[in-house]
Amino acid sequence: MLPKLISYLTLAAAYVRFNLKSQLEYRGAFLSQVAAMFINDFFWVIFWSLFFTRFPVLRGWNVKDVITLWAVTAAGFGLAHALYGNGLFLPQLIARGQLDAWMLYPRALLSHLLLGRMSATALGDAIFGFVAYLLMVRPDLPHFVLFTLLTMSVAVLFVGFSILSGSLSFYLGNAEGLAEQWRFSMITFSTYPTTLFDGAAKLLLYTLIPAGFVSYLPVEALRELSLSHAALAGLGALAVLLAGIAVFYHGLGRYESGNLMEMRG
Amino acid sequence: MTFWRKYSFVGLISARSNLAYFGDVVSRVLFLGVVLYIFLRLWKVTYAETAVQTLGGLTITQMLWYLTVTESITLSAPRVAQVVDEDVRTGSLATQLVRPLSYPLYRLWTTLGERLVRFFMNVSVGSLIAWILVGALPVSAVGLLIFVLALPLAFVLDFWANFLIGLGAFWLEDTSGLLLLYSRITMILGGMLIPLELFPRAMQPVLRALPFSSMVYGPAHLLVLPSLNELIELVLRQGTAIVVIVLFVGIVYRTALRRVYANGG
Amino acid sequence: MKPAVKLASLHKTFILKQGKGFRRTQAEVVAVADVSFVIPEGQSVAFIGPNGAGKSTTIKMLTGILHPTAGEAHVLGFTPWRERSKLAYHIGAVFGQRSQLWYHLPPRDTFELLARVYNLDKRDYVKRRDMLIERFGLSSFLSTQVRKLSLGQRMRAEIAASLLHRPKVLFLDEPTIGLDVVARQELRDLVREWNREDGLTVFLTSHDAGDIESVARRVIVINHGRVVLDDKVSTMRRQYLGSKVLSVKFNELPARIDISGVAVLKASGYALKLEVDTQVIAIEKVINVVLKAGPVADITIEDPPLEEVIAHIYSQGAGSSFAADLEEELNTA
Repeated sequence: MLPKLISYLTLAAAYVRFNLKSQLEYRGAFLSQVAAMFINDFFWVIFWSLFFTRFPVLRGWNVKDVITLWAVTAAGFGLAHALYGNGLFLPQLIARGQLDAWMLYPRALLSHLLLGRMSATALGDAIFGFVAYLLMVRPDLPHFVLFTLLTMSVAVLFVGFSILSGSLSFYLGNAEGLAEQWRFSMITFSTYPTTLFDGAAKLLLYTLIPAGFVSYLPVEALRELSLSHAALAGLGALAVLLAGIAVFYHGLGRYESGNLMEMRG
Repeated sequence: MTFWRKYSFVGLISARSNLAYFGDVVSRVLFLGVVLYIFLRLWKVTYAETAVQTLGGLTITQMLWYLTVTESITLSAPRVAQVVDEDVRTGSLATQLVRPLSYPLYRLWTTLGERLVRFFMNVSVGSLIAWILVGALPVSAVGLLIFVLALPLAFVLDFWANFLIGLGAFWLEDTSGLLLLYSRITMILGGMLIPLELFPRAMQPVLRALPFSSMVYGPAHLLVLPSLNELIELVLRQGTAIVVIVLFVGIVYRTALRRVYANGG
Repeated sequence: MKPAVKLASLHKTFILKQGKGFRRTQAEVVAVADVSFVIPEGQSVAFIGPNGAGKSTTIKMLTGILHPTAGEAHVLGFTPWRERSKLAYHIGAVFGQRSQLWYHLPPRDTFELLARVYNLDKRDYVKRRDMLIERFGLSSFLSTQVRKLSLGQRMRAEIAASLLHRPKVLFLDEPTIGLDVVARQELRDLVREWNREDGLTVFLTSHDAGDIESVARRVIVINHGRVVLDDKVSTMRRQYLGSKVLSVKFNELPARIDISGVAVLKASGYALKLEVDTQVIAIEKVINVVLKAGPVADITIEDPPLEEVIAHIYSQGAGSSFAADLEEELNTA
């Protein structure tokens, strides 16, 4: 078990190194993409700051809570797709038969192919998340440690979610649009306080659009330094990841029987 | 006569090509549905927490309709900057520089055509969603006319700003960062998410003077609280901004021309 | 001798959904029907057929990407679709459309990455890599980004990369496409060398007759999902690949060309199309005759298109398999 883990970590490290090197070949474009996402996230924080100047409290949340929300979401999403950039391209890989190339390697398919790309904008998100949390919320050490752990939990969730939405392509021909819509909804809901929603909507946010595990539980965990909230967030993330993996490998079965699409060559 | 016919024909073609995408409509519905729903929740909670009927002079119904229009305007943003950027880089703009008027005017007509279609689609879809969420907006025929009159110069102004950004391709490796900055500034300072009246008091006159609010807040506010005086003020502000920016574009053009000749075209 | 590849009655049908909504129909398309062959270790086989014949479907089943509908296959003792990961350690693949090399990085970086992917021992890997660099002549551009390399250089690096983990079987798909004459020959020589000297089993797909002749000892032709010919290349060459087509354009009406081994396919005005049987007469002799026949404006020498050759084969009925004889021949060699 352990040697396998080490082997995988070494592999991941190599991919990160080479993905970064490859991106830096076009330094200007890379840096501008990183900066662009940073700026984008920053502007949303400005919006919330302005909003909370006029309306200081929203169902118990203040401006620091919303900034924390943005920080943990951005950092988690960023981490997820800086490392597993191919998660964002799963629909295309499946539709164009590009899984084949990855299947020729002696590695577990999913955990390998996800490493194949690094998203520059995701890196901008990740950097923003940490910078915003450190500079605007000014946490003490325990909070910062918890923040980092929660970031990883959110990252796990986003990886699982990307896999889940991307795997739709195994079942529906042109699922790119659908997957994108689903992802968009998830990201959008993740950046607004879950406290705004009641009833059926709230249920949705812990199931089909699991933003609750990203935008409510982590923030509550940090507000109260509550490990129970953090644990719930982690469990939710794990559940989404497992669901994603299950759907992917089930869909892979269909892919391998070749009844997915038109024959090629 | 041929001048108008030529350009309106061009505008019509591009408008028609935009209508062709049905899937586009569906994704618009989903996008606006999610966004407007979230805004509704945000403001409903805000109104409830501050225990008022109106904020910034708007009832919750008016607020949501205001946001519907600002979203529709923002969402229908033209792709001019990217197109102009490309034309600069491929050199096709350089060949047009000797006849300085025809290129921008051509772009203007195609952009307006596109924009009108997209805006119309957005506002139709958005209106349906807003109607479902908060009911109809009380609006008179005159009020509607006032609103409609606020749009053309708003779109023209936005066009010139985007055009100017596209011209940045003469100097910058990548104009997408500039474009992002512009769209985010417009978002915040233009009142897309909050009407100007809810900004800190000190900022309000500045925001009104800046061209951003003339493109977003201006028309949207006139739909929910139509006022002839306000319309006249808005149109004057839009016109002034257009004159200023066109002059600036002229300067940039001349500098760009010199650069093109210096570099051999 | 242990077989490297063993196929028995391999079958693959696809269910093709046609139409939309209620008028959806299902059609069964047979891509591969009852394909069987055995490839002993160290053999080099050309696996050819027209587009849509079932080549890539078969290869996908051999590499474990696709599950067959029926039949058995064993590659190096593994059932590909069931033991894909394990098999992957022992096979290499160079497929035309897909490049293993990272576009913006030098080949040496891809090599290092592959070492991690295949979990290669560090010292082993370095020795192997250096040997490959030498034999494939990569040292001059090892640290140059792949996007700056010529196609010939890229293909050499590509094949070297596929051999890094010491595979026993190498699948090559259209390796020489787009290459100039020199690069093409270099590549063929390298592959042949690895097959002859290092005992690498080579499974080659190509539309180029020169590739087949140069690299492969045995050729399996597949058409409409079935094996149509399974024979030694030398036999096939004798029967089908022994001709060249000469297209000549003269500046004035040429003299008559009448020599044995040369058939006039077409003669119109100043243009002439000749078919030369290279078993009977050397091509340079024919060229000399042509040059003497009149002032030449343009001359092209081509192989008859493979599709034509295959159609020809098929029309003559399915060929019998000489595989067993061939295996024996190799064993005694």
